[in-house]
Amino acid sequence: MKNLQKLLSATAVAACMTTSAFALDITIAQTSAVNTLDPHASASVGLDLSVLSHIYPTLLLRAPDYSLQPSLATEWKAIDDLTWQFTLTPDATFANGEKLDAQTVAWNINRVTDADNPKRISSWFSQVESVNVISPTEFQIKTSSPYPALADQLSMFMLLPPEWAEANDPTSETISGFLYEISEYVPGDHITLKPNESYWGDESAKFDSVTFRVIPETASRIASLLAGEVDMINSVPASELARIDASDMASAGAVDSTRSVFIKFNTEKAPLDNKLFRQALNYAVDKDLIAEALFDGRANVSACQVMTPDYFGFNPDLTAYEYDPEKAKQLLEESGVDLSQPIEFELPSGQYLQGAEVTQAVAQMFEDVGVKTEIQSMEFGAYLDKYRKAHDLGRLSLLGQAWATIDADGLLTLFKPGNQYSYWNDATFDQHLIAGGSTTDQDSRLAAYKAATEVMCDEAPVVFLYAQPATYGVSSRVTYQPRGDDWMRAFDMMPAE
Amino acid sequence: MKNLIKDLMRSKAGLIGAILLLLIVFVAVFAPFLDLPDPTRGDLRARLAGPTWDGLFSPGAHPLGTDEVGRDILSRMIHGSRVTLLVATTAVVLGGIVGTALGIWAGYKGGLVDRVLMRLVDIQLAIPLMLLALLVVAALGPSLRNVVLVLALTSWIRYARIIRAQVLSLREREFVQSAHAIGASTMRIMFFHILPNVLTPALVVGTLELARIIIMDSALSFLGLGVQPPTPSWGRMLADGRVYISSAWWTVTFPGLAIVLTVLSVNLFGDWLRDYFDPKTRNKK
Repeated sequence: MKNLQKLLSATAVAACMTTSAFALDITIAQTSAVNTLDPHASASVGLDLSVLSHIYPTLLLRAPDYSLQPSLATEWKAIDDLTWQFTLTPDATFANGEKLDAQTVAWNINRVTDADNPKRISSWFSQVESVNVISPTEFQIKTSSPYPALADQLSMFMLLPPEWAEANDPTSETISGFLYEISEYVPGDHITLKPNESYWGDESAKFDSVTFRVIPETASRIASLLAGEVDMINSVPASELARIDASDMASAGAVDSTRSVFIKFNTEKAPLDNKLFRQALNYAVDKDLIAEALFDGRANVSACQVMTPDYFGFNPDLTAYEYDPEKAKQLLEESGVDLSQPIEFELPSGQYLQGAEVTQAVAQMFEDVGVKTEIQSMEFGAYLDKYRKAHDLGRLSLLGQAWATIDADGLLTLFKPGNQYSYWNDATFDQHLIAGGSTTDQDSRLAAYKAATEVMCDEAPVVFLYAQPATYGVSSRVTYQPRGDDWMRAFDMMPAE
Repeated sequence: MKNLIKDLMRSKAGLIGAILLLLIVFVAVFAPFLDLPDPTRGDLRARLAGPTWDGLFSPGAHPLGTDEVGRDILSRMIHGSRVTLLVATTAVVLGGIVGTALGIWAGYKGGLVDRVLMRLVDIQLAIPLMLLALLVVAALGPSLRNVVLVLALTSWIRYARIIRAQVLSLREREFVQSAHAIGASTMRIMFFHILPNVLTPALVVGTLELARIIIMDSALSFLGLGVQPPTPSWGRMLADGRVYISSAWWTVTFPGLAIVLTVLSVNLFGDWLRDYFDPKTRNKK
């Protein structure tokens, strides 16, 4: 029966090829090159993980509407606060014949939780205590504390075949266990995928080939799309969308992303340790003008929190700080901060959509209320080193953060006292986060995060700005379901009729 | 001096270069007195407005359009020329002083000093200058002072080589030999007898270096390693505007034009200057 299905789908593909042979080879433009082929050595959703999720299987997949869909796992549920149970598709295999069973999943989780050999994504599973294999298609994950976002996190966790991974180097080689396999890889330039003939699932690959091409320049990406050389691009400046849309070759649009952009304060340095000063800066910025003028109204102003409405734990009762320069000046006076010295304002260049423009606009608004700044642009890598390794962030910097599980439990942790990313130590906020993380009961979690966001809004450890729009352009050869969580996948696309 | 001006009048290319250069320097020097909008402040509502000549003299007119945060491009171009010319001339003078001094020292002293200095020059010539500049700015951090230092660093070797070659022949001339014979000190000979005779080639090298350094300064600020925003610089304007190159051509065209015209005028003037001081070409005329 299965063979018959395969034969049928193969004939269907062949039939499509004769009618519209070109429509089935698509090219997706990426802003930078893939760093590694090991899915456990990268947390970069928009880049490495997007490419690899065509090749390696995951237990669950997140659909463009952010719902979790079955993939290798057919069923999953939390049995109690500390236990999750999963049921797998039977008879799934990798291309080399290795079984995709519960044992393989357990091996993969152990690979990243191995304390002696930590991987880039080990922190995702720091709460995982053990994996119990019940049968080849069933297993349980035990956590040390309630981990309500575990299923969401697993939608980003790809599985390697154990025996192959022991004998080969997964950072530079791949083997398929999902819809596609690599047919050509030119590091720094492009990766071409072709359908995996031995794929275990029912659906089949929709395209004959999928090529991920690196085009760092924004203007070149747009030009390539309009010339018909690529079928999908992202990170398009909002004001260029109309121009793309006007062409016959392509259409463009934007959806709300899950990434919030804000001005990060280093509250460990004066004068950002002064609450009145931080609030004053929030009043000084005209968020609506930035959203309207710079983003053509495609960006939504943050509601005094770093979460967007898509997040679990979003607080609908908060509203943004009003734009009130007079109030800002008054608060600055009350704060007693000496405004004669400029404050450094770090800008990771090229990282966030129109980031340099936002930074300069905000710096000008700060200046209008009497706060002098000195912009320092730097490579994103250099910025990350200051942020993460050296723990020496400038007093102001432009930052955009998102959490792939779309849950307050992840995103707010970036502001938790003691977290290396936080630069803000508020005990009350910490208590609410701990309360939110100690249960899987939805209502008590919501109450805890509501309280936490209220504290954060009032204490203002950042200037809340806007949710970065996920802008995209697609060629008229394909249809695309836009999504705001960075994934760029061929399976969100269909050949156009 | 009269000869100089007469010769310049005869050379079309040299004259055009000189006039253009004078004009650019004049505008740059007197920029604060021109009634220009603030180059560092923009109006977001008026971003990416195209060039328009309507109401040219009314306040808020943008004859060359506005950039991606609504700042006046004409004003940024003119204020950008101040930064560029300041950086370039300081770097050229600094590189010229160091290069000339070391060139004279190496050429006159000879021996170990000469060998060490010239190998140093060879080593530096083997490193791509752009790479050297990138490394130094990345290590020291981007700032006006560091950019000047870096550009001077890439520049001194050219003076040193040419000056040394001149000094090698000057050293054997009678006036130097006689100064030596009556007991003048080495410092005195180098300063009073050799230096005045190498000033002309140093000047010619300097003019040609100026053009190269303007390009390099623009390249550094294009890469974000020059002066920091919102201070205007031509390279940075190009970098920020290139995203909008096909929808707002004026964001890159005018700063690009500014670089081209400045470098062209310096080169034309420099070429004429070289020909003027070179006896072979001068006598032909």
